[in-house]
Amino acid sequence: MPDRGLRISGLRVSVAGNDILKGIDLNVEPGRVHALMGPNGSGKSTLALALAGHPGYEISGSATLDGLDLLAISPDKRARAGLFLSFQYPAAIPGVKVSSFLQATRQAVKPGDLPPAKFRQLVMEKMDLLDMDPSFLGRYLNDGFSGGEKKRLEMLQLAVLAPKYAILDETDSGLDIDALRAVGESLGAMRKDAATKEIGLLIITHYPRILQHISADVVHIMVDGRIVKEGGPELAHTIEREGYDSLREVAAVSV
Amino acid sequence: MSEALLETKPKLWESALETIVSDDGALRVSSPDTRVAALDRYRITTANRERPGRYWKLDLDALDERLSNLAMAPARANFSGGTAPALVLCDLESAIQGDAAGFQSAFGRAIAHAPGKYAALTQALQRGGAFVHIPADVCVDEPIVVTYRAENRTASFPYTLIVADRGSSATIIERHEADDGNVFVSGITEVIAHDSSAIMHAAVQRLPEDAIAFFTRSALLERNAHVSWSAAELGAHLTGSTIFCAIEGLGAASHIAALFFPHGEQHVDFITTTDHLAGESQSRTVIKSAATGNGQARYLGNIRIAATMHGCDASLKDDALLLSPHAHIDSVPALEIAANDVKAFHGATVGALDDESIFYMMTRGLTRDEAERMITLGFFEPALDHFPTAALREELRQELARKIAS
Repeated sequence: MPDRGLRISGLRVSVAGNDILKGIDLNVEPGRVHALMGPNGSGKSTLALALAGHPGYEISGSATLDGLDLLAISPDKRARAGLFLSFQYPAAIPGVKVSSFLQATRQAVKPGDLPPAKFRQLVMEKMDLLDMDPSFLGRYLNDGFSGGEKKRLEMLQLAVLAPKYAILDETDSGLDIDALRAVGESLGAMRKDAATKEIGLLIITHYPRILQHISADVVHIMVDGRIVKEGGPELAHTIEREGYDSLREVAAVSV
Repeated sequence: MSEALLETKPKLWESALETIVSDDGALRVSSPDTRVAALDRYRITTANRERPGRYWKLDLDALDERLSNLAMAPARANFSGGTAPALVLCDLESAIQGDAAGFQSAFGRAIAHAPGKYAALTQALQRGGAFVHIPADVCVDEPIVVTYRAENRTASFPYTLIVADRGSSATIIERHEADDGNVFVSGITEVIAHDSSAIMHAAVQRLPEDAIAFFTRSALLERNAHVSWSAAELGAHLTGSTIFCAIEGLGAASHIAALFFPHGEQHVDFITTTDHLAGESQSRTVIKSAATGNGQARYLGNIRIAATMHGCDASLKDDALLLSPHAHIDSVPALEIAANDVKAFHGATVGALDDESIFYMMTRGLTRDEAERMITLGFFEPALDHFPTAALREELRQELARKIAS
């Protein structure tokens, strides 16, 4: 399959008349971990939301998932094609139980692939990896959840829905060290599991903290709506030492 | 309304009353004088109810005319479910004929707290009905189901009296149904909850969508009594529904949960009033309403705590969800609190479905319709939670889902 990958090319996004992304080229390969780093306001979250299909964005350029034109289809179809976004700020939906939501969404992306007993077993296993108490299942979706609980639930959904590509939008922010380790272990387990080992991950983060738990194959640096630098895992360490300031100058020159 | 207009009105209910005067059984329950006085109260009480809502456009005073082709029918209650030794389930005429314990002293006592046009009409024309008497210290485990099935092309006045003696407990599910939409139903439910009794009442109104229905439900709570009302007004073209709680006993607690969801051309007018007439009493009110299509609703919520009633704890929460640009819900919560050492809370919201929530759910593979359905059903869940059985809650979810899809 020559066309596999989450391929973003010349992607421009403006929100309410402001140009946020100014031409993004980025390929997420199956089975690989990509880190997308950059200072606040550089456009990382906008990229994530644009790929997931947020309404109200003006978008040009292209984004394909294993050859499928993502920009032409609605968010639910993107999810069914194998895309997942772990939200930085997941919505709270009172009255909708986590258990029924997991069931409905699994059914939506992988219709009829698991009998109910197997599905329950899968959910329990994934919760265990994330150190989540089974009582989570009876709670309303993100309703009254702490920041850390929301992020764990995002990771649980990721594990249960088993997409082809996942974007993690600052999943590490607001997590304590134990939660961060649990997230790392859950992602690590997915990459070992035969069913999900081909997952391509795009991990958006401010800090390289999460990369201690899951190492990146490729690091992309975004500043002011552009990818200004790409490199191997060592690039994350450079950022940690030196910050983004030197890269801002690169961005300014390339304007 | 002008005198002249009053005189030109068809005397539909007056002639109905004449037929009742020949029904001995009915007259034993309520005398001709009482009935005539009640019909007078009906005539002089304004139809627009106490405070007309902005979107309440139906002329209730013109209803009589529209109903003139209906025959009067006694309200026949069908009992099923819960039983217990010495539990009495019968119609009101049998209750009075058999001189049933607890009937005479209870009849009309709770409804006296709930004056209203259609309560008065039901008091005037009541026939049949149901009497539920739970003797002292009797716990009825299984819910008692009281079903009223209105006959085609009739007006009926189902009057349910529930008396819970000291230390007793029971759950009553009251259902209102009909095969044909051309019915008028005006019902009363009275609950007399004596000391330390616990009554859970669930009203499920699923009349056809061109029916007209009014319900007045009133509970009187004595010392340490618990009364929980849950009401689902889902059917009828026009529903006027009123729930009263008169808390007369120290330490008593009332709970009201209601849901309604006008769609198409349905109208719902819902009023709750909780009167804290004793100290150390508690009340909770949870109202969840949605409207779609051209659905219209109005909610008035009142909580009153008089100056000398100390240590009361009251809360009222009502949320309204608008699912179409032509739907309207008017919501008017009101707390009248004269006492100063009480806890009282009220909160009201009116809004549309949240776009970010829909987007979030769609990114998990759910279609927009599925997302909207789940969010809307979830919205009702805090009220659904108070309905007594899992089967009933599931029945209501299905009916709500049907309305969402309409």
